[in-house]
Amino acid sequence: MPLEPFKASAPLTLGVELELQLVSLSNFDLIDASPDMLDLLNRRRFPGNVVPEITESMIEVSTDVQTDHAGLLGQLQQIRDALVAAGDRLNVGVCGGGTHPFQQWSERKIFSKPRFKEVSQLYGYLAKQFTIFGQHIHVGCTSGDDALFLLHSLSRFVPHFIALAASSPFVQGKDTLFNSARLNSVFAFPLSGRAPFTLDWSEFESAYFARMEQTGIVKSMKDFYWDIRPKPEYGTIELRVCDTPLTVERAAALAGYLQALCRCLLERSEAGPSEHDYLVYNYNRFQACRFGLDGTVVHPKTYETISLREDILATLRRLQGHAEATGGLAALEHLYKTAHEGSDATYLRQQYKERGSPEGMVDAAIARFREGRQG
Amino acid sequence: MVFDLSPLIANLAWPFAIALAWVAGELGHRWIGLPRISVYGLVGFGLGHTQLGLLPSADSGTGMLLANVAFGLILFEFGYRINLRWLRTNPWIGATGVLESTATFVAVYAVAVGFGMPILASLLLASLAMSTSPAAIMRVVNEQRSSGQVTERVLHLTAVNCVLAVFAFKVIVGFWTFQTSGSVWQAVYNSLILLLVSAGLGAAFGLGVPALLRRFGRLTRDATVGFAIGVVLLVAIAHTFKFSPVLAALTFGLVARHRRVVLNQTQRNFGALGDLLTIVLFVFVATTIAWHRVWTGLGLALVLIVVRLVAKVFVVGALARVSGISWRKGVLTGLAMTPISVFVILLLEQARFLGIDLVDQLAPLAGATLLLELIGPVVTQRALILADESSEPAEG
Repeated sequence: MPLEPFKASAPLTLGVELELQLVSLSNFDLIDASPDMLDLLNRRRFPGNVVPEITESMIEVSTDVQTDHAGLLGQLQQIRDALVAAGDRLNVGVCGGGTHPFQQWSERKIFSKPRFKEVSQLYGYLAKQFTIFGQHIHVGCTSGDDALFLLHSLSRFVPHFIALAASSPFVQGKDTLFNSARLNSVFAFPLSGRAPFTLDWSEFESAYFARMEQTGIVKSMKDFYWDIRPKPEYGTIELRVCDTPLTVERAAALAGYLQALCRCLLERSEAGPSEHDYLVYNYNRFQACRFGLDGTVVHPKTYETISLREDILATLRRLQGHAEATGGLAALEHLYKTAHEGSDATYLRQQYKERGSPEGMVDAAIARFREGRQG
Repeated sequence: MVFDLSPLIANLAWPFAIALAWVAGELGHRWIGLPRISVYGLVGFGLGHTQLGLLPSADSGTGMLLANVAFGLILFEFGYRINLRWLRTNPWIGATGVLESTATFVAVYAVAVGFGMPILASLLLASLAMSTSPAAIMRVVNEQRSSGQVTERVLHLTAVNCVLAVFAFKVIVGFWTFQTSGSVWQAVYNSLILLLVSAGLGAAFGLGVPALLRRFGRLTRDATVGFAIGVVLLVAIAHTFKFSPVLAALTFGLVARHRRVVLNQTQRNFGALGDLLTIVLFVFVATTIAWHRVWTGLGLALVLIVVRLVAKVFVVGALARVSGISWRKGVLTGLAMTPISVFVILLLEQARFLGIDLVDQLAPLAGATLLLELIGPVVTQRALILADESSEPAEG
């Protein structure tokens, strides 16, 4: 099946998908509750959309298309309230976080749906290890060319999103020393990483995708696990590097940041993207995953070494005008605080110290998701 | 000269019985997918002193203590998994528990009286029939590694009906004591004070042990061993002073849960220690059942089983939708609550310590217990599999 034509969207519209953890309130381990949760949630109209994910202890929610940060935040809060209410009735805790800190991958159950069973057959234990939780942000683009331009221009900012969203310090009960350990699991997949460099949609379509399809390796865009990928049927690009934050407020703020950033990039006032930008890409990405906001990155054009936190703060300041135009000032304000106070990964480590167990961390994550307090 | 073999047999009987039960349990589980505990019960019953007679009479205090420790470990873990806050956030769970217990009580009482049993015996029978065996539920849930609404609800509803059953039982025993001895003090002591002291003791452990573990640092292994030792000590104290080890261990788990020290999945069942003691427990309990009593009470027993099951399935099923799950899962939850046994037997044995021999009066219960001891775990297991909550891959 050839790639569908790129459907033009209203520029800079937003949509967010969140993969969330379902946790037993009895022992704080993941619980195979998605069939029961979906059964209960489907009794009423859900504010947005809710679907199963590959293992039964995950659930994925998504918003409708939104034009600004406030609308997005409002809907995400409604979604959260609906999930929390359903969880209360079923003794299920719902929380964010890129990984569950102590779940054993071998305990997971694949959701009964043909595609999931196929993926599980193909990838073996990788599929069950894929019980990780990410936030995907869609940004509307008017054309395929715009989409590719944004996709490659954003590569330099990918570490920002990794560090700001980082919330997966623990895996299988142990501190990984990473702030986002989740992305290491994504990297294990053969079709992960970055999209090939081209700024021309018709070239991407015929020279890249069509050939890949001929090789038989892929059938659709879904088979690529890229950090940013175009989504022609929605007319969007999809940023996939964020861990699911502990609060929907942070999730909305990240989307607001991306929106303002895209508006700025579309002005095309700076040097455009090039293949050479990717020389530093994997290194910067690693720095963001491992050290979070304390990482250092190399600028792809100047090769200057900069602190990631400084780079984020400088970018936030530069985007003020764009954020005013998109209605995203509150989002930047939120992230400004985050950059100073530390990411969710820092918060989770603190909780581990205070409460003395990974169970305590999960308990804290559940509480934080419910309250949705700022900061 | 003829050797007297009986001391030899007495020494070897238990180790052999346990080995036999273990082998049979593994084979039964592997070949026909039976829950292991059903097979342990079968072996215990077969070897009991009134049947093949290999195992000595179960009156010995040590056997009772060991069984209580094993039961205590399971109950601790059971209490640890109960989330009391859920009863508040979803009031229908508590309501379902109270209603299904009451319905069971009334139905069983009516049937027992209808069959001509004395009123007091009928009341006791009804109170015991309310309860689901937490040990059987816990073992099957862990054996199947199941998780989901049926699993969660069976655990919580069992907690509710057990507490109600212990309460009702003790109150009725209190009345019984009052009627037979005429002493108000002894009546109150046998019922309420015993319950309060047992729960208080468990709560004290629930606060003390986690505090101690916290001082040691946070090694996971320490937590498991610490809790196990806590349970052993608690049960021994309760046993010696004739409090209720059952209630004490349950309270210990409940309170410890809210102190939240690590007790993670690798320590399920208290690992190898728990597995070993479970064999002892289920073999021991089944040896206390005598064939002649089973036979005498079999007719009524069958009726009781059916009535009890109908009451539970009906109430839990009827309240399924309103409490947030599908009708189907509601009915499966009701079915999964079938097991009775260990709990009941230990209560009866304890009552005997207090000088009341109820075992003979409650012959139908022996029959029902034996049947449900073997069949109950199978029903629970099937219900969990049908609800698609079991992760144990089909073996074969």
